[in-house]
Amino acid sequence: MPPPRQASLTVQVGVDIVGVERVARLVSAHPSAMEELFTPAEQAYCLRKRRRMEHLAGRFAGKEAVLKAIGTGMRRRMHWTEVEIVDGVAGRPRVELHGEVAEQARRRGVHGLDVSISHSDGLALAHAVALCDHGVPTGGGRAVSSH
Amino acid sequence: MASAEIETAVQEAVVGALGVGEDEATPDATLMDDLGAESIDLLDILFRIERSTGVKIQASDLGDYIQGGISDEEFGDADGIVSRKGLEHLQKVMPQIDADEYEGKLEAEKVISYFTVQNLADMVGERAAAAAG
Repeated sequence: MPPPRQASLTVQVGVDIVGVERVARLVSAHPSAMEELFTPAEQAYCLRKRRRMEHLAGRFAGKEAVLKAIGTGMRRRMHWTEVEIVDGVAGRPRVELHGEVAEQARRRGVHGLDVSISHSDGLALAHAVALCDHGVPTGGGRAVSSH
Repeated sequence: MASAEIETAVQEAVVGALGVGEDEATPDATLMDDLGAESIDLLDILFRIERSTGVKIQASDLGDYIQGGISDEEFGDADGIVSRKGLEHLQKVMPQIDADEYEGKLEAEKVISYFTVQNLADMVGERAAAAAG
């Protein structure tokens, strides 16, 4: 019988900042970027806001911050829509992971995620925190990522 | 589509997305380290390439292309260093990486920082050829 596993909880943070105009230019010039970057729920939330581009940029920064907190960046087989930032209680954003991103988070022992987003003066900023249990086997091996 | 046309399309995409000069977006310039591309810039570059060449590449495809069909466990060891098998594959898609020189030294997560304008043009050329059958 294997010995009881010793949990080793750590906190990993990720921060990202992006220019609102940079995101606005991308989605204006390439309309399919909306579908590649944002889930239908994210689009619906942001597009009903008066400052829709600020909210889209905030969502994008949030996705980047979450990927940094998990420790992967954008790896192969991952899609931006697999980090979904939904409207939680009292307007607080809540993170939901899907597909390959969820699988990588599981392999890295991520137990909980939180993100906070702000925007001002043409910039959107997000800060994500991941609670990780490094007692969970990772499976080894590293892959190429594009942060 | 001729390779020269693809190389021009890729250079124009890089120049347009990053706001750098043509003299900076040379074939051997690395997208991230030399030209300062962030992930949103990579998206912009790939969308511009799609518009001018018809070749659709997603950001996550870059990692697939670089790593080939090699699994994470075979590509990099538990310390994150690219294996001999991984290096031999890298020499095919990123010929500037010398497998002997980098053996035991190259971190898997840093490989993308060595990806050049020419490497991207080669990838687009490969995808265009595959689509043409």
